[in-house]
Amino acid sequence: MEKQRPFMKALKCRECGHEYPLEATHVCEFDFGPLEVVYDYDRIHGRLTRDLIESRPRTMWRYRELLPIAGEPTVGAQVGYTPLVRADRLARRLGVRELWIKNDAVNYPTLSFKDRVVSVALSRARELGFKTVACASTGNLANSVAANAAAAGLDSYVFIPHDLEQGKVLNSLIYGARVIGIRGHYDEVNRLCAEIAGKYGWAFVNVNMRPYYAEGSKSMGFEIQEQLGWKIPAHTVVCMASGSLLTKIHKSYQEFSKLGLVASTPWKIHGAQATGCSPITTAQKAGLDFFKPVKPDTIAKSLAIGTPADGFYALKVMKETGGSGEDVTDDEIREGIRMLAECEGIFAETAGGVTVGVARKLIASGKIPADESVVLCITGNGLKTLDAVAGHAGETREIRPSLREFEGVMANDQPDLVNS
Amino acid sequence: MAKSKTKSAKKSKAAAPRMEKQKRRFWLTYPPKLITRPIIWEMSQRYGIVFNVRQASVTEDIGILCLELEGTSPDLRAAITWLEKQGVKVEPVEINVIES
Repeated sequence: MEKQRPFMKALKCRECGHEYPLEATHVCEFDFGPLEVVYDYDRIHGRLTRDLIESRPRTMWRYRELLPIAGEPTVGAQVGYTPLVRADRLARRLGVRELWIKNDAVNYPTLSFKDRVVSVALSRARELGFKTVACASTGNLANSVAANAAAAGLDSYVFIPHDLEQGKVLNSLIYGARVIGIRGHYDEVNRLCAEIAGKYGWAFVNVNMRPYYAEGSKSMGFEIQEQLGWKIPAHTVVCMASGSLLTKIHKSYQEFSKLGLVASTPWKIHGAQATGCSPITTAQKAGLDFFKPVKPDTIAKSLAIGTPADGFYALKVMKETGGSGEDVTDDEIREGIRMLAECEGIFAETAGGVTVGVARKLIASGKIPADESVVLCITGNGLKTLDAVAGHAGETREIRPSLREFEGVMANDQPDLVNS
Repeated sequence: MAKSKTKSAKKSKAAAPRMEKQKRRFWLTYPPKLITRPIIWEMSQRYGIVFNVRQASVTEDIGILCLELEGTSPDLRAAITWLEKQGVKVEPVEINVIES
């Protein structure tokens, strides 16, 4: 990209509107409200066209004027532009006319949507001169920071609860990240991580780099609109942990609409949570604009945040767009994973089961009308949460090396085929 | 009272290096049963913590406060532990630093 002024203008408090320079900072000094990147839309309007976007490589950076970096992306240049799959078989199963799967289960390089946010955060961190990056995570974020930092030659620190499953730890250790397990209950670990982030001069991706980091999620929404043929879907179902992804999908629709890249047709954004950790959907169903913290107890570990940082804003988006919130039990999550796998050949992690299960409920209740189109955002790969479905995906049937035994099994499955 | 405090402060200064005060920022969430109790004032009195309210929303269902607390590290830690024992949820201003 040619050298020019960046299209981002400032960081702005989402509460009071106070503006700050584009540095590594994340809360307003006055009311401690979260900061968000604002852009010079007038300049972008004159430059960013469908033709320009389509002429660029198929990665999330084809929308770079709307992503918060000043120059070329230096981390995660290959991330994004994951498939948007027309899911007719699943649509028939769920009882809706038109269904699409935005499949970030195959996002590069660590198979989750976190590669989008991390590549933005680390590219920006480099621009700001950081040499060390860090995060506090129980899974996908840690893997993504470790992998992307390794590829970019940055040092990385990953903070995790000490009792995290070994498989998840290995997925970060293998990239050479310095992994620190912290003993203590969740709130203590959470507070310590915030203290460490404040004390050391690192780029902590989801703390001092958070305004940049969160913007990376918009690329999922940009891609959905382009891949649908430059249209905003009538319904989008998004799973919620902190609630940030849902708010950024909404922002991506607003931005493309404002820039005239898509027609400004109405859209509804629906939020999905696991019943065992549903502070946002519980508040939405009760008509509240605040949520009450909960203690998570669900197999959907990647959504298990009892006090979601963007919960308030996610509630606001659902309200503004006329979307709904719904939640599903652990059994319904497994059923959702199976339906997606059996109908579309896509194996999603538990969060994907939440999205499918919630879509099923919203369609059944008429909140998503059967004759409208829906996009389901799948955020991570099923290979990451094998434990959650182990013992629930059917069983192998063993036979001796004998045709007779095989046909004995077949007689149960497909008697016509065996007898013919 | 003020005089004796100064004296003891001087004594402790001689015995050990004076703890530096620090500022930290938290969201506090507390349930309905604690809403009528001046819990922040109690914390301040017990642990000598200076507090500055930046945002607040208190209804009959829930109390949510955004505070800057100033004190020594051990006092801050003790104050937070005490608040949690009373049933208050204490989170950093970033809320869920640990993500999935």
